[in-house]
Amino acid sequence: MRRRFDEQLELLHTSMIRMGALCEDAIASATKALLEGDASFGEKAMALEQDINLQEREIEQACLRLLLHQQPVAGDLRTITAAQKMVTDMERIGDQAADIAELSAFMQGSPVGSDVHIADMARATIKMVTDSIDSFVAGNQAKATAVIAYDDVVDDLFSKIKGELIQQLVQDSSLAEDCLDLLMIAKYFERIGDHAENIAEWVLYALTGSKTGSGPEEGR
Amino acid sequence: MKRKIFRFAALLAALAVLISSVLITAAAYNDFFRTIKREVAAQASYIRLGLELGGEAYLSQIERRTGHRLTLIAADGKVLFDSVSDPAQMDNHLSREEVREALETGVGESTRYSSTLREQTYYSAVKLSDGSILRVASSMDSVLASYNSLFWLVALIALAVTALSALIASLVTRHIVRPINALDLDHPENSAIYDELVPLLSRIKEQRGEIGRQMAELDQRRAEFSAITENMDEGFLILNREGKVLSHNKSALRLLDAQLSSPVGVHILALNRSEPFRDVTEAALAGEAHERIVELAGRQCQVFASPVKNESAVQGAVLLLMDVTEKQEREKLRREFTANVSHELKTPLTAISGYAEIMMGGLAKPEDVPEFLQSIYSETQRLIALVRDLMLLSKLEEDAPPARERIDLLALAEETASRLSANAAARGVDVSVAGKALEIMGMRSVLEEMAYNLLENAIKYNRPGGSVTISIKKAGERAVLTVTDTGIGIPKAEQARIFERFYRVEKSRSRAIEGTGLGLAIVKHGALLHGAQVSVKSGSAGSTFTVRFPM
Repeated sequence: MRRRFDEQLELLHTSMIRMGALCEDAIASATKALLEGDASFGEKAMALEQDINLQEREIEQACLRLLLHQQPVAGDLRTITAAQKMVTDMERIGDQAADIAELSAFMQGSPVGSDVHIADMARATIKMVTDSIDSFVAGNQAKATAVIAYDDVVDDLFSKIKGELIQQLVQDSSLAEDCLDLLMIAKYFERIGDHAENIAEWVLYALTGSKTGSGPEEGR
Repeated sequence: MKRKIFRFAALLAALAVLISSVLITAAAYNDFFRTIKREVAAQASYIRLGLELGGEAYLSQIERRTGHRLTLIAADGKVLFDSVSDPAQMDNHLSREEVREALETGVGESTRYSSTLREQTYYSAVKLSDGSILRVASSMDSVLASYNSLFWLVALIALAVTALSALIASLVTRHIVRPINALDLDHPENSAIYDELVPLLSRIKEQRGEIGRQMAELDQRRAEFSAITENMDEGFLILNREGKVLSHNKSALRLLDAQLSSPVGVHILALNRSEPFRDVTEAALAGEAHERIVELAGRQCQVFASPVKNESAVQGAVLLLMDVTEKQEREKLRREFTANVSHELKTPLTAISGYAEIMMGGLAKPEDVPEFLQSIYSETQRLIALVRDLMLLSKLEEDAPPARERIDLLALAEETASRLSANAAARGVDVSVAGKALEIMGMRSVLEEMAYNLLENAIKYNRPGGSVTISIKKAGERAVLTVTDTGIGIPKAEQARIFERFYRVEKSRSRAIEGTGLGLAIVKHGALLHGAQVSVKSGSAGSTFTVRFPM
């Protein structure tokens, strides 16, 4: 019985890694679509969003089945509840990657992007997502904590980009639409960073029982 | 075993009890019956005597003492007296076997069973002198009935025997089995307890030997296999059907940059989840061999993934990872080189062809023709220089190196400086040679080329009025040739690439500075031939090229 349960937990872990990898692919494709202006990557990001949604549904069902059939306790219960929460964040990352890809189609050929730190922001966000999933794969508490701290970098980059866009808008109001689109994209990246932070928090919760990594919350 | 022995013993005991009880009963009964018969016959003869002496009154006297049934029957079969029943109620006894026999022979006997077979009656009849018949009868239980009365006793004995056999079975079993349990199976030949077990033990010994040999063989194969795979530069992984790692080697962990000490049992996705890698492994696990170049931990890796099939069902996959970063880079360099050679050769040819076309068409003014010819000449010279350098390079790379001789670096430097003094003077660059005589074993022609190219570059990329210093000195076990200029310098980012063929810092390939782009490549190859190292240090105020030769 326990053996079977362990196998199912492993299967869940593998599916989560796969879903995380799909998210990484989606955001990488969206970023390529944005920075290189290659529309095929945009399409790929949108296709990946569908895959991610499918995967989310499958994992949610698997989690429910495990909860109902095995009635897990303690660490196992935390693993499964954390998985349920994580897939929601991953699914949002997929959505936002698709949104970025969609907006990138309108941004092609626009001069706005070149003077803005959007590439840095994309890189920082991808790093956050990759690291959060790495921390999940390896069960690495230190890495998860580092991801949570790194969110400030992404937040700062967002403020910086906002300032740069305001400057551009003041100088040339004909670029208004592009500036706003880029602001949306930056906001999406910022949101993806938040979701990566959430994933890292859930990793900490699964490992330690507390979303700050300081020990179980039970009984407090 | 215990149960089997018990069952057998109990069955045997019960059977013995049953058979012996039947046989004993039968034998005893037979004996008993014979005694009764004899006694009854004797009594009949005594009573006859008594009867003939004492008359019928004797009968009534004796009937109670004998314990037998007495009957007096008249010669016509009518019953005259009976000690049990009323004679009047009894039928004619003439037809009775014993009566008839007694009438004929004087003595008669017969045995009859009661209607229920429970009783057996023996009749003995004697003929009295008056012709009437005296019959004495004795009834007793039949064999069956007497056995029946024994039944409970037999059953009790059988029960006791069964219990006893259970006890014995358990004792015997324990006794037999104890030495078997205590057998030393590692050395079965030492413990010959039962002769019956000797064939089994020798068989076990044989098989142990066989197993030992096979294990040793297996261990050796595994050791060989892991020795081969562990020392491979290629990464090697075996996955099971679900994609979990079954076996791996060190290189695989290195190439995948795995943080785990042992990934056995871990899903391959936990080691790398990038899209191309995922694609090849999943394709292999779906039964299709795939090959792809994947970026792993910053290196270009060629991943071969093949399914392992057993009767068309996929049992797992084998992954082979090859670091092809250098190969990819070499490939890139080769492509660039080919493109560069074609370009470098084509540029002068296009110019030559252009001038020739203009003159052929008669479009050139006569006064321009000498200038055109001059251009054609210089472009041809350029081509010749280019081809010469290319040939030199390929010679340095492939041909057997020329013989080595003792060469004084200082003399060589001075010679080179004097060869290039005209160039230096034309650009207003001051060339000086410093140091003292230092001999190395080297190839004169190659060293000359190296010094020439280094010095030529130092002059060419100098500022007007600048200076070039060639110095020769000894540093430890090495002879060091340094060419220092006060020229335009080389940007940091370019320094690693200047030794590549055709690489020129000035991307515009401007004709302002003549050159084939092969000079430093020749220096590098020449240094390689001599086992020397070339290094460059450069800032905004000039560059220093250093060649360190082994002495």
